[in-house]
Amino acid sequence: MKLWMLFIPELYFLLTAAAFFGLAMLARPNPRRDYFAALFLGGVGVVVALACVKLEGTLFFEAYRVDLFSQVFKAMLSMGFFLVVCLCTELNGIEERHHPEFYLFLTTCTLAMMMLVSSVELLTIYVALELSSYSLYILVPLRRGHGIDVEAGIKYLMVGASASAVMLFGLSYIFGVTHTTYVVEIIQVLPSIITTPAAIVGLLLTLCGFFFKLAVFPFHFWAPDVYQGAANQVTAYIATASKVAAVAIIMRMVALSGGTSAYLVDVLVTLSIASMTLGNLVAIVQKDMKRLLAYSSISHAGYVLIGILSMNTTGYASAIFYALAYLVMNLCCFLVVVKVAHDGSDLKIAQLAGLHRRSPLLAMTLMLAVFGLAGIPPTIGFTGKFLVFTAAMEQGYIALVIIAMINATISLYYYILVVKAAYLLEPDEELPRLAVSMPTKVLAGVLVTIMVVFGVFPHHLLEVALAAARVLM
Amino acid sequence: MEFANFPFLSAILLSCVVGLLVILFIPEDRKMLIKWVSLIFSGITMVLSIYLFFAYDKSQGGLQFVEKVLWVESMGIYYFNAADGFNLPMLLLTGIVLFTGTLTMWELENRVKEFFALTFLLVAGVFGVFMSMDLFFIFVWYDVSLFPMYPLIAIWGSTRKEYGAMKLTLYLLAGSALILPGIIYLFVNSGLNTFDVVALMQPGTFTPFQQKFAFILLYLGFGILAGVWPFHTWSPVGHVAAPTSVSMIHAGVLMKLGAFGVLRVAIFLCPEGWQYWAQLMAVLATCGIVYGAFVGLAQTDLKYVIGYSSVSHMGIVGLGLATVTVDGLNGAVFQMFAHGVMTALLFSSVGYIYDRTHTKMIPELGGLSRTMPIASGYFILAALAGIGVPCLASFWAELLVFISAFKTYPIRGALAIFALVVGALFMLRVVQRTFYGEKNEKFAHIPDVPFGLGIPRMILVAVIVLFGLFPSVMLDVIQVASIPFISGLP
Repeated sequence: MKLWMLFIPELYFLLTAAAFFGLAMLARPNPRRDYFAALFLGGVGVVVALACVKLEGTLFFEAYRVDLFSQVFKAMLSMGFFLVVCLCTELNGIEERHHPEFYLFLTTCTLAMMMLVSSVELLTIYVALELSSYSLYILVPLRRGHGIDVEAGIKYLMVGASASAVMLFGLSYIFGVTHTTYVVEIIQVLPSIITTPAAIVGLLLTLCGFFFKLAVFPFHFWAPDVYQGAANQVTAYIATASKVAAVAIIMRMVALSGGTSAYLVDVLVTLSIASMTLGNLVAIVQKDMKRLLAYSSISHAGYVLIGILSMNTTGYASAIFYALAYLVMNLCCFLVVVKVAHDGSDLKIAQLAGLHRRSPLLAMTLMLAVFGLAGIPPTIGFTGKFLVFTAAMEQGYIALVIIAMINATISLYYYILVVKAAYLLEPDEELPRLAVSMPTKVLAGVLVTIMVVFGVFPHHLLEVALAAARVLM
Repeated sequence: MEFANFPFLSAILLSCVVGLLVILFIPEDRKMLIKWVSLIFSGITMVLSIYLFFAYDKSQGGLQFVEKVLWVESMGIYYFNAADGFNLPMLLLTGIVLFTGTLTMWELENRVKEFFALTFLLVAGVFGVFMSMDLFFIFVWYDVSLFPMYPLIAIWGSTRKEYGAMKLTLYLLAGSALILPGIIYLFVNSGLNTFDVVALMQPGTFTPFQQKFAFILLYLGFGILAGVWPFHTWSPVGHVAAPTSVSMIHAGVLMKLGAFGVLRVAIFLCPEGWQYWAQLMAVLATCGIVYGAFVGLAQTDLKYVIGYSSVSHMGIVGLGLATVTVDGLNGAVFQMFAHGVMTALLFSSVGYIYDRTHTKMIPELGGLSRTMPIASGYFILAALAGIGVPCLASFWAELLVFISAFKTYPIRGALAIFALVVGALFMLRVVQRTFYGEKNEKFAHIPDVPFGLGIPRMILVAVIVLFGLFPSVMLDVIQVASIPFISGLP
């Protein structure tokens, strides 16, 4: 096997980006052509990423490692990309002449995140992270519209740039105390000196950069505005693929500590509780569906952190499982958002009224997705929460588990409000039935099936997650 | 993998799930077809549960009809169903209430498809909890049975339905927020890497401290659903708001799910915790009995009356569990069954009256026995059963509980018996004012229960009388489980 073959998924997405770059140069806009090109290339991308799951090796002077952990996440990212493209049948939120650019930056962002999960050298990590961030900085204000997108774009850029600065500062500390930028070497040195202030501060500041991506408290301020301001499809991408990549890199960095630092655990516990509680409480008063999902994502960042801060194999495996669960459930929600607000506008929760008659399928998809997010069986969301809590309980964090469960109960309130809107409330004026195309029906069916089947039969998925987590230890 | 023979227990679950799927694929406007499909599948579950109840070999005892499949290897999760003396009465109860509930809703016209689909989902969860012997599955089924309640009440209910539905859902899921940590705590601390209840039941698996800690989490968590005072406030509100068959399933079966969870999970796995907290359980149960009886006295809404009598009667179940004796356990399990059937009959009768008169306020009704003698008869019989009149099922259950409670906790036992007298008083008062006295001419034209709609009520009456005349049919089954369990206590 040639060495470059390890790089196939990334190369594939690089070529895809080049293809869209070519399409962007053409004079006449043609949304159908762009869409089908993206759909085809994204579909092949999933196949390529899945085919490369078993690859192992290192590249680029040991700075880039291909292992089960990274490949599983690459598969998830390519799936996220493909599913988001599936939602783009009516890309009304973005001007037609910008469609190739939209796909181009979506591709570069996916490429960057794939590089991020494989990077095992601090500078490579930084470069990959910035590439993904810059793609999103451009995608957010691409929305056709009324200025709200520009505000969101600027907010995102400002918070992102500050987080990057903090992270660079932290990286410099880590380099200072360990004299290396290679993760493999850091992990040998850092656990023995993790009790020194410089090391712990360095690691925490570095984590800040990634907390920004995951929207963990106190780096969550951008989330509601960006979710609302960006086009629905872009929000779907930020809410799913981008979160998955952030989970992966946070796991990689936390694993650096070797699980010996009580300080680090304390900080992570605090952030986790703060994120959950704040996200859930603020979500209760939201009127806009995307803002509600933004706050729900902040609280979910807290749940994922519980798995990560357990720092054992079950914990990392549960976080991987949870990331996938979150990807699927959130995509279900955004499928409904995109289809109901098909003119590309923001979706108010009140606008869901009467959905059960306008489209029973979408209403059911939404109900299952929302109950999944609330952690109710038999959905994948429950299984994810169950694994995360088991991992935390193994480390004896009983109080944390109980607080998280109380939070889950609080969150149920606003999730039920969404279900209530879709099933109970009647719209003021009679709205026509939603025309749901066959591919959309199939997509909703597939997502719902994944959500229920992996919730009920988690065995195989769990084995993969455990194997991937062992690579990290 | 071991199967004794035909997997009867899975067949019950499957008939619920298949029923649900079949209903999902029937077009919404074929309402009669949907009702018939529901009736057939609920009939299958009832027949199977009756068969199991009588096919259980009492001389052999222990777990029978065992089905065990390894589900998730790395976590030690098993798909493990079995029947014993404790869950057979519950399965029988669920089968009967589902079938009669389906018949009771025969007149439903609004969103029929969704109603029966959700009902089957709910009942699948209930059956699952009753038959499962694996903690993970018990929790999964438990939650599956809770969340359909929200749409069922909020869409088809009455009287502040959205408030009632939200309150009920949040209370019950707050309960499961205590149960899940309790279950995971036991799983992690056993060190056995298994969720198998039988394996975790081995003496010495948990230290006394772990048992006390886990017991209180599980007792409070499941207790919320069992209507344990002071966490009962969701229950009358929810009962009142729910549509008839949902009230029947909810008060008849779902509240038993909580009491059964206390028995199957908390008491089975933490027997020392049980003995340690028994005093507290007895206090809360007595409070519930007294409180339910007195608050019921002040109600003017028929459904509220039944709701508070449920709180009172579920207190009797709790008191039985708190005695830590064979008689107490027998009485508690019997009371779960008897109260389930009795409440189902009460709600079913009130449902008929409410559908016709559009009121369930006691002062507005009055003299109903002259216009609807049969409908009134059903209600009065159920009310008498609730009071504990001999020859009806509840009598034996309440007798057993009070005898053992009086021995173990004389003062609390006496208080409970006193409350029962008050309860009898308030039930008789309700009967007197609703069905006798001045006849309300407004309702004079309303027809009495026709034969078809009478079938479900007749079935319930037959069950109440049958087990009242032959209590040993039930007690013999329960004893097979309770005697070895109590004698095996440390």
